Amino acid sequence: MYQYDRKGPKRGVALYSYSAEFGLTKSLEECFEDLHDMGAHGIEILANTHIENYPNPTDEWVEKWFRLCDKYEIVPVEYGNWIDSHVLGYRDLTTEESYEMLARDIRLAHRLGFTVMRTKMPVINDALEPVKNWREIIKMALPLAEELGIKMCPEIHTPSNLKGKMVTDYVDFIKETGTKNFGLNIDFSVFRTEFSEGEYRDPNYTPNVPEDLIPLLPYIYCCHAKFINMSDEFEETTIPYKEIIELLKKQNWDGYLLSEYEGADKYDPGYEVGQTLRKHHIMMKNYIGD
Amino acid sequence: MEREVIQSVGFRNIKKDGNVTGFQFKIRLPYYRGIFLSQLRPGTLFVDGERFEKEDIIWNIHGEDYTYEEMKSNFQTHWDVTTPAVLKVKKSGGLVQGFHDLKYGFCFTSSYMPPVMQDSLNPDEEAFIFMPEFGHHVNERRLLIV
Repeated sequence: MYQYDRKGPKRGVALYSYSAEFGLTKSLEECFEDLHDMGAHGIEILANTHIENYPNPTDEWVEKWFRLCDKYEIVPVEYGNWIDSHVLGYRDLTTEESYEMLARDIRLAHRLGFTVMRTKMPVINDALEPVKNWREIIKMALPLAEELGIKMCPEIHTPSNLKGKMVTDYVDFIKETGTKNFGLNIDFSVFRTEFSEGEYRDPNYTPNVPEDLIPLLPYIYCCHAKFINMSDEFEETTIPYKEIIELLKKQNWDGYLLSEYEGADKYDPGYEVGQTLRKHHIMMKNYIGD
Repeated sequence: MEREVIQSVGFRNIKKDGNVTGFQFKIRLPYYRGIFLSQLRPGTLFVDGERFEKEDIIWNIHGEDYTYEEMKSNFQTHWDVTTPAVLKVKKSGGLVQGFHDLKYGFCFTSSYMPPVMQDSLNPDEEAFIFMPEFGHHVNERRLLIV
């Protein structure tokens, strides 16, 4: 199986970026080759999108998955799943049922070679806090995650703040349990400083500075390299990328930065998200060094 | 696969033993049916104005490399419409990071068509009547190298 041994921050792509193209003009293999063109090795998939016959893929499909990873030098990095305890309209799932749903995804993520899970849960307020029993659900899954070498990470993105209550709650949980199998995925939208005129800006949002990452780095197992706008000089114009990557290098943070593009224009006819991603990867390659 | 003839996926530099020896890109067959390799009439490639002759471009069909000479006499190997061909171009050091303008000409014979149309086939020029089910001979695209 292909391995990419570089230490420090590494680059990759979240297939979510191809949401307007996947299944229409790009197959899974074409997405893999698109990453290969960029020299990107890390990949994030969404369980409910990119696994054929989810949640029960065939052995043939899993074999094909590993063949693609080898052929295009792709490392399975992050597996996006949902613990949707609000999946029924008339009652919440019990903690046990939620755990079963999560355990199924942990096993599947492991079967496909992933090591990090970006775990989303239903939210109960505008601060995006998860369902009340999240601690019980995660605690129940920790032994299995530990056995299979999986780190479950909720995603921290705008308008949440790195010093806010939600992050503090997660960090407290990690310290209390001492677990190495639960952590954070930081989405770079939390560093965004530039907005265009008249653009909606969540009143609860305050930009973080890159240094705010430092106390959290031991718990960060993957990052979403969110980006909004790439100039033709291959610079991101809304987020201090250079400073963030310099900091991650200096602090010896070892993990993947996965490009996540969610501009609405990707659904415009003729939009070429692959070219937008290449711009982002020219920048990241130049800052990271590979 | 994309509607454009020159595909955005598969455009990259080619490395051999750590050295960049050239670059590659993919094209789809813009015809309503497949063709045998000897029907191909490869033309000229321009990248940012730099000219590459048909003899200097290797076609890879279904994983096999073919030179211009080899394709001329090969009427057994079939190129289907659903699998793009990979074109490999020798260029020491490859293409630099950033934007590149590609322009490539190729066409193919269709001997069941009126002779007047066949006689004037030129991979680097459009047919005198454009029929979209045969595609354009010359296609362009602007793509990025990382």
